[in-house]
Amino acid sequence: MECNGCEFRSELYYDDQYQIWVRREEDGSLTVGMTDISQTVAGKILHVRVRRPGTLRPVGKPVATIESGKWAGPVPNVFDCVIEEANHSVLEDPNLLNIEPYEAWIARVRPSGTAEEALSVLLTGDAAQAGYCERARREDIHCERGAR
Amino acid sequence: MTTWRLLDTGLRPAAQNIALNRALLEARQQNASLSTLRFLRFEPCALLGYHQSAEQELNLDYCREHGVTIQRRITGGGAIYFDTTQIGWELYLHKHELGTADMTEISRRICEAAARGISTLGVDAKFRPRNDIEVDGRKISGTGGAFDGDALMYQGTLLIEFDVEKMLRVLKIPAEKLSDKAIASARERVANLADLLDRVPPMAQVQSALANAFSEEFDVEFTPALLTSHEEALYNDALAEIDHPDWINLLARPAVDQPTLNAVRKFSGGLLRASVAFDRTQSRIKQVWFSGDVFISPSRTLADLEAALRDTLAEQLALNVKQFFATRSVDMLTLTADDFVSVLHEALAQANSEAAA
Repeated sequence: MECNGCEFRSELYYDDQYQIWVRREEDGSLTVGMTDISQTVAGKILHVRVRRPGTLRPVGKPVATIESGKWAGPVPNVFDCVIEEANHSVLEDPNLLNIEPYEAWIARVRPSGTAEEALSVLLTGDAAQAGYCERARREDIHCERGAR
Repeated sequence: MTTWRLLDTGLRPAAQNIALNRALLEARQQNASLSTLRFLRFEPCALLGYHQSAEQELNLDYCREHGVTIQRRITGGGAIYFDTTQIGWELYLHKHELGTADMTEISRRICEAAARGISTLGVDAKFRPRNDIEVDGRKISGTGGAFDGDALMYQGTLLIEFDVEKMLRVLKIPAEKLSDKAIASARERVANLADLLDRVPPMAQVQSALANAFSEEFDVEFTPALLTSHEEALYNDALAEIDHPDWINLLARPAVDQPTLNAVRKFSGGLLRASVAFDRTQSRIKQVWFSGDVFISPSRTLADLEAALRDTLAEQLALNVKQFFATRSVDMLTLTADDFVSVLHEALAQANSEAAA
């Protein structure tokens, strides 16, 4: 479903600012990406850098950084984790984050606690949808995918 | 009226200036500091954009031999040479103070205000998308930003008495070589306040021109103040990380992945030469540099085209060049948009032949 043209997927988990999405994998790892709102706000993304596999990332220390139109900044991190893997397709073509934000994952991480503990600080389902739409409306964000 | 802080941190080594960027942005993000306009100056240094690699962007031997320190910014964009002949200006803000989340719009608003401030010194400064301020097509200020949550920092340079030749020697600029012609051509692309005004404006005058413009744009008043003790603590932590080879070498990519490709073609309208800094991994043009003896009016067209082609995917090149010429009125005798495309494609073709070799 969409709000202001911003795609929302109810099966994913989100931080309370709807900057990142998180998906639970069967092996207990978590996949992290940018939301449609985030990629729209950023504009055309030219660089992505993911910390090396094995690096511990505490809350507040970013899993990855992005750059668009001379703006650089973090893809935020809201739970303690260790980086397991970066998505090499995205490192090679960061623009994929603009084109398919929910397919173009950024990193797979292993939470320091259990996956349940990590997901417990995130929002999902109806509550997430309400907050996601509220942010798009409040900040008047109209999403566009596929900017090149 | 809302009060923002005016902070002047004076002349410092690059590592200290960048550590202050990190500390002040972090403090603003925590809502522990007021929004701030900071003025800063640098001892001679080469500053990489956050995602750049020193090997690809800088002449490392020259930097070593001439005491030019290498540092990495926290902001995006390209490598620059910074020394005492320039002044830096920075805004630390919260997105809520700007009424938009659109980063392009934020850049535009800040740059247009800075341009108005610079203009009050007696030059006609204008914002040039996406991130420059220029006077008659010549760059006088380059800018870039960093964000952290809802806080952001936007910074710019302002050239006062800039040494263009030194910049060319520090940066791997895609000019085919450092001939007198290349240096003269680089001089035509940048503008110094001192040259434009025929005098060196006092630093205090430059600072108040910028401060007044930002004060009007954001409807705030500035009060001079120092760093808070909380910012000092953040600064000390940041300095330990940033004044370290691991930070400077955070990204290290081989120079061979970003070749400079040259091509020259003779048209009935004249000789056109293109140098292209090309990112082979992403198949993306980083920067284009045109020279030659073609007639083009207005003369700033080449600089505008260079700016428009930054970070263009190779596959989009022809479309971007055509769109550029379709949206403006340019007199260039018999030269056509297709001629520009052909010389650029010829340069890019070398990337394939180099890769195959």
